[in-house]
Amino acid sequence: MKTELDITADLALLELTGDERVRLEAEVSRLLDYFATMDSIDVTGLEPTTHALREGNRLRPDKPAAELASADDAPSAESLADDILEQAPDLEDRFIAIPNVL
Amino acid sequence: MSTTSIRSWRAVLSDPDRYGAALADRNRALNAFLEIDAKRRPAASPAGAGEAAGAGEAAGPGEAAGPGEAAVPIAVKDNIAVRGYQLTCASRMLENFVCPYDATIVSRLIAAGYQPVGKTNLDEFGMGSSTDNSAGGPTSNPWDTDRVAGGSSGGSAAAVAAGMVPVALGTDTGGSVRQPAAFCGVYGLKPTYGALSRYGLVAYASSLEVAGILADSVDLISDVYTAAAGIDAMDQTSTWTASPPSSETRTVAFLSGDLGLDQRTTAGYARMRDAVASRGYAHTDVELSTSDYAVPAYYTIATAEASANLARFNGVRYGERPLYAENPESLVRAARSAGFGSEVKLRILLGTYVLRSGFQEQYYQRAQKIRTAIRNEFDSLFATYDLLVLPVFPTAAFRHGADELDAFQQKVADKFTTLANLAALPALSIPTGVFDGLPVGIQVMGPPHSEARLIEFARVIATELPFERPPGYEPLSTLPPSGSEVA
Repeated sequence: MKTELDITADLALLELTGDERVRLEAEVSRLLDYFATMDSIDVTGLEPTTHALREGNRLRPDKPAAELASADDAPSAESLADDILEQAPDLEDRFIAIPNVL
Repeated sequence: MSTTSIRSWRAVLSDPDRYGAALADRNRALNAFLEIDAKRRPAASPAGAGEAAGAGEAAGPGEAAGPGEAAVPIAVKDNIAVRGYQLTCASRMLENFVCPYDATIVSRLIAAGYQPVGKTNLDEFGMGSSTDNSAGGPTSNPWDTDRVAGGSSGGSAAAVAAGMVPVALGTDTGGSVRQPAAFCGVYGLKPTYGALSRYGLVAYASSLEVAGILADSVDLISDVYTAAAGIDAMDQTSTWTASPPSSETRTVAFLSGDLGLDQRTTAGYARMRDAVASRGYAHTDVELSTSDYAVPAYYTIATAEASANLARFNGVRYGERPLYAENPESLVRAARSAGFGSEVKLRILLGTYVLRSGFQEQYYQRAQKIRTAIRNEFDSLFATYDLLVLPVFPTAAFRHGADELDAFQQKVADKFTTLANLAALPALSIPTGVFDGLPVGIQVMGPPHSEARLIEFARVIATELPFERPPGYEPLSTLPPSGSEVA
């Protein structure tokens, strides 16, 4: 029988074992108990605030904009893509390779 | 900061090798920097500062940048992108990552005459209040190396306090600029949400986090903020207003009630009260009915957003990963389980839990409604008062490890700082002096886009408060010129 922690860890793609699992189970449960103190405030009639911006969305006219690069020596989109690919642990041509899996 | 001291900071970059060696030497006791490189980038030309600043007004540091003059060194927290430097977020997950681009605030500051000289330590992905949760090891407080520098921008705070740099960038999701600034005795500004572009910040909790500034003078906070602020086409959440609230302060509210402060912080808070009174501001005590709910609401929202933001770290495109895996999903599980530290796993688990179907209403939705209640309470507070003064943290810098404050107690102690993040408001931590060997910072909060008011208040109140330096303080700007050691 899976515990709540195991189900949650599974969803988060984390493997918990040994001491770490024991410690995290205790800490998660302590914090969830603490979160439960939110029950004692009356939030009737309040809308949730899901985003930080008070002004709402910042829109611009639907016209092509100038180049977004913010500095003269900023990398071009193409060289940026190359630089990003270079961070990959393993490449085959311009594809990111992962270890062989069956 | 005086023009003289800015000039002496410019002088250090005329010999970057020597400055870099001095930084590395001083770093051994503090571990404030994870990477030091004072010559990676050519010094910026002081011209060209204008075009990048968007809707904000561009200004050079102290307006003292003459032609051919070297830049002012700035340290950058290692969760902010600087091209050519690492971007580890103090996580094994990003151990070997070399950053291919500049955050917008970094490119604006380079254009305005500042030069990054290294990346500073933090709690992994910004998750912590001590900078003890770092894969690069803990940062120590320049006032007492047995104590933490605070977090998560602990490296930035320690670097400024120790005289390694005059100014540093940090990020503040729940207090991560203000609390280390308070612990290390420097100024720390958390701007209004959106006032500084977040393009190039590694996301932890997107609706709460902002970039912030740590410095040893109000003027430098102001200069750097002005140069970095403004709308950014690369960040749809960046904001700017043509009509900010007046920079004048007449009425100051003090948070009162049972605040649970230690002796040092009680004394620092009292000193701030005296300073406000002696400058002749009208001042009143206020209580906030929502403040007890800030921390649980904050951690619910922050961990929920973290669980989504950190889903991108899967070991495929970059970062650490196992050499072998049974299938793609086991590759991702193994990479994440080995790459993330314990505090990061805890927050991902909590965030995943509060977003699970069946639990959302109880936790996540409720926290979002509490955020509304907190905003409403601040809106009505700032309709009556110009500023709110409140502590940053209930204690001065605590000792390394969990003996004085364990991980749970550290979270609960975010009760004063998380308010500004939940309400998206600006706040500035101001040093009030040293009590029994440790500095205490007290913060001042204002309505949206009132940074100029906070800065002006800090300038005025600084005349009433001592600004003290750690024992043995000797800024690297006073390094003797090269060759002078030769008799």
